[in-house]
Amino acid sequence: MNEPLDVKIDWDRCMGSGNCVFWAPQTFDLSEDGHAVVIDASATDEERLRIAAEGCPVGAISLWRGGVELPAGEES
Amino acid sequence: MASSDTANTAAAAFDPYELKDVVSGSIRDPYPKMHELRRECPVHTGPIDLGEGADIADPNRPAPVTVFGFDEVVQVLRDNGTYSSSVYEGVMGMVMGRTILQMDEPDHRIARAMVAPSFRSKVLERWEEELVAVVVNELIDSFIDRGHADLVREVTFNFPAQVIARILGLPRADYSNFQRWAIELTSVAANWERGVAASEALRAYFAGVMEERRAAPGDDLISDLVRVEVEGSTLSDEEIYSFLRLLLPAGVETTYRATGNLLLALLTDRSQFDALYNDRTLYPQAFEEALRWEPPVTVILRRAMRDTTLAGVHIEAGADIALLLGAANRDERKYTDPDRYDMFREIRQHVGFGFGVHVCLGMHLARMESRVAINTLFDRLGEFTLDPDAEVPHIAGMAFRSPLSLPVVFAAR
Repeated sequence: MNEPLDVKIDWDRCMGSGNCVFWAPQTFDLSEDGHAVVIDASATDEERLRIAAEGCPVGAISLWRGGVELPAGEES
Repeated sequence: MASSDTANTAAAAFDPYELKDVVSGSIRDPYPKMHELRRECPVHTGPIDLGEGADIADPNRPAPVTVFGFDEVVQVLRDNGTYSSSVYEGVMGMVMGRTILQMDEPDHRIARAMVAPSFRSKVLERWEEELVAVVVNELIDSFIDRGHADLVREVTFNFPAQVIARILGLPRADYSNFQRWAIELTSVAANWERGVAASEALRAYFAGVMEERRAAPGDDLISDLVRVEVEGSTLSDEEIYSFLRLLLPAGVETTYRATGNLLLALLTDRSQFDALYNDRTLYPQAFEEALRWEPPVTVILRRAMRDTTLAGVHIEAGADIALLLGAANRDERKYTDPDRYDMFREIRQHVGFGFGVHVCLGMHLARMESRVAINTLFDRLGEFTLDPDAEVPHIAGMAFRSPLSLPVVFAAR
């Protein structure tokens, strides 16, 4: 069993498309000012998290395991 | 309002469906040619012929560029410093006015932030039951006792225009005019004078509506737009007209085509239809796969701001760049068996909504509208099938693609 994933959002890049919320509504939400925020990284399975991260139109979402960033498109 | 009185008379005999053909063209399958060109190189310079003939290159302009590869399209859409949206200032700017479509940063970010709150999925939830479901149910009411219908003509073609009209809070009597102007504006490439006249008619019409909403704000998008303020900026009347005009091609044309493409995919592969019919939680991947397989808008444009290279191909400063979303979405280097619709495929990322900072503002509205339409059809019609006595429908078009008809049969109720 892998160590759980950590999800980070680069707010300088995030433009609030809400695409991550569509794919993983238990993990992401949009704040009042329209930025994506992580509510619970462990609430979505890893496959869906990966889809949400790769689908971010501005590449603002990164996934981390044990302090190491996962390269985009890596198989779990 | 005097303008709507006179127009109502003309609207009585108007069937908006009759205008549809001019928008899309008749190309059935441009994808084999796209595969062939992508295999040669994911980026091409010079005119390209995908079946409708190649444009004649302007010798005084840098050679145009066409991008066929997924990674290359994403690279361009992410690098909005090098690849500018100002290319839309020309034709689109003349017809729509200055919109977020043609803006670069930082103007784009501020202008988009003003309208974005109205298109967040949570804000849209309120429209789901009281509006979208109502519209779709009304359309179904008109044919459910018949046992057969053309789902394009009787559902998909009509519902997004009615949804947008209701989101704008327009009176019901104006819907027919509104849809007509929407189609005439969207098909401006086929009939320039008619498109420009529709643009002017919409400005005059919206001016009256905005005056009413300033005096008596309601629960609608136009009331939101006349009041919105971001970082001290508000929207001018001209900016609101432009945004509302942009909503027509962006919000009507696309959703109707995307919903038709999903329906066609389901109707022509029974295992896919059954999967979604029996498990509605599959809807997100079913819809996204339809957008990958047949994006309703197949091309978006950018202009190179400096000399650059893409996939090793030199691009001259000032060159217009056509990003073929449909070709990118079927890139064999990314997807297995890319020409097949399969909601269970592993890779779900696609550029059907575009990508980068200009990614479709209405994506959540489109997803919700289409979901409600499909679910309502399932709930009301049961397991409908293609009409065995009608010609098997197909998707057609070049810049815009969708089926022209979807004849189905079902148990009459």
